[in-house]
Amino acid sequence: MNGEVIFFVLFSLGAIIGAVFVLVFRKAVYALLSAVLTFVSMSGLYILLTAEFVAGVQLLIYSGAITILMLFAIMLTKQKTGTTRKRMIRFQWPVIIPIVLLMIIIFYGIHKVTPPRKPVSYGKNNTEQIGELIFTQYMIPFEMISVLLLAALIGAIILAKKENT
Amino acid sequence: MNLEQPPSMEGFLSFFIYVVPFLIFVLSFVTFAILAERKVMGTMQLRSGPNRTGGRFGLLQTVADVFKLLLKEDTIPKDADRTLFKWSPILAFVPAFMVLAVIPFTKHFQFADIGIGLLYYVAISSLSVIGIVTGGWASNNKYSLIGGMRAAAQMISYEIPLVLSIVGVIFLAGSLNLNTIVGAQQSVWFILYQPVGFIIFYIASVAELNRVPFDLPEAESELVAGYLVEYSGFRFAIFMLAEYVYMFAMAAMTTVLFLGGWHPIPYFEMIPGAIWFAIKFSLIFFSLMWIRFTFPRIRGDQLMTFAWKGLIPISIINIFLTAIIYEILS
Repeated sequence: MNGEVIFFVLFSLGAIIGAVFVLVFRKAVYALLSAVLTFVSMSGLYILLTAEFVAGVQLLIYSGAITILMLFAIMLTKQKTGTTRKRMIRFQWPVIIPIVLLMIIIFYGIHKVTPPRKPVSYGKNNTEQIGELIFTQYMIPFEMISVLLLAALIGAIILAKKENT
Repeated sequence: MNLEQPPSMEGFLSFFIYVVPFLIFVLSFVTFAILAERKVMGTMQLRSGPNRTGGRFGLLQTVADVFKLLLKEDTIPKDADRTLFKWSPILAFVPAFMVLAVIPFTKHFQFADIGIGLLYYVAISSLSVIGIVTGGWASNNKYSLIGGMRAAAQMISYEIPLVLSIVGVIFLAGSLNLNTIVGAQQSVWFILYQPVGFIIFYIASVAELNRVPFDLPEAESELVAGYLVEYSGFRFAIFMLAEYVYMFAMAAMTTVLFLGGWHPIPYFEMIPGAIWFAIKFSLIFFSLMWIRFTFPRIRGDQLMTFAWKGLIPISIINIFLTAIIYEILS
């Protein structure tokens, strides 16, 4: 067993355990911290795939988002513990159907992907390659996403402004 | 030490052997940085600073302080969230020490030469605020909660100009790799090409470090000690340690990005690179102290206005101008 396998197991376990604990923890701050565990493990997995740029961006964006979410969690939830036990929903058997369906779809999707014949050399100039692809081949989708984000930003400002007046 | 090898036990052990002395070096640096800060502060305020413990210059003052902190009773408030209260100093310290891995101190002394060094630094250092917020929340105290909230708002706001101001450097160097960035400054340091970027980066780094004039998270006249109110003993020591290690990293990063890292100024090539790095680093570190002792604290709304209406537009304009001039000249 080489180190890569050990790290893969560690990171994927971290991602899964973090995701499960987001659902299990009853305190919002705890749930968010386990989401941090998931995100950090995900970026570890990206590094194992030599997608270092994606890993860095993942950490940068999600850690900021997590801090903001944590502020909301602190402001919107009471610090008193042990009162939310009643609210826990019992496991409902019909839920099994969508879960299995989703699993089949994801499994089918992964199964359909055929890896490229010759290995692509990502490795060293990862950032450069991503930049080149975004600004040549995927130019229009990239611009569309930026317009979409801008629209969302303006919408958020308008909604917040309305509340004030 | 290269990262091209597959992960293995020998690689881990060799890194471990290099990292532990470095950790000890950083810890002793922090010890004397605190002493230096107090001595400089004393001189600037026309008093002598620590001068009893360890000779005339108070050389053992910080060591004694650390021992005092370690021997103190470890108090945890009754209604605090015990688990997070214990974990948040660690959450604050780990990112501060992790970022040191990519900083190239000299041509040969660097732990990890990764392609996205700069992005790694920014990404990991943005994690350190989580420790502060959880610490403020877990203490279950009004003051520490307000301190934690302020820290989150401030560090997120100032992270944006911090990142935007280094985009100009990335343009000029054409890489996110810190070694390439230092290599591109062989003849001219980036502070000459990017003066605006340097000033914005410097201001934003002072704010990221939560130091005066941006120390609202621990403003002692309003919040007692901010997010640190309930912490005592070695947990407080770890928080302080994280702050100073982060300051070490920030000063080293400023040196690498804008002051040419280990490169000498012309005609002084006989002085080795490590000493050049140390000189530039100490200059930055001293100016950080200097600012702390001479500026008053700014108000919360001024803090936010300054970031969003001042630094961010200027840094965006700086990016555009850099791109245009770069295109015209090349």
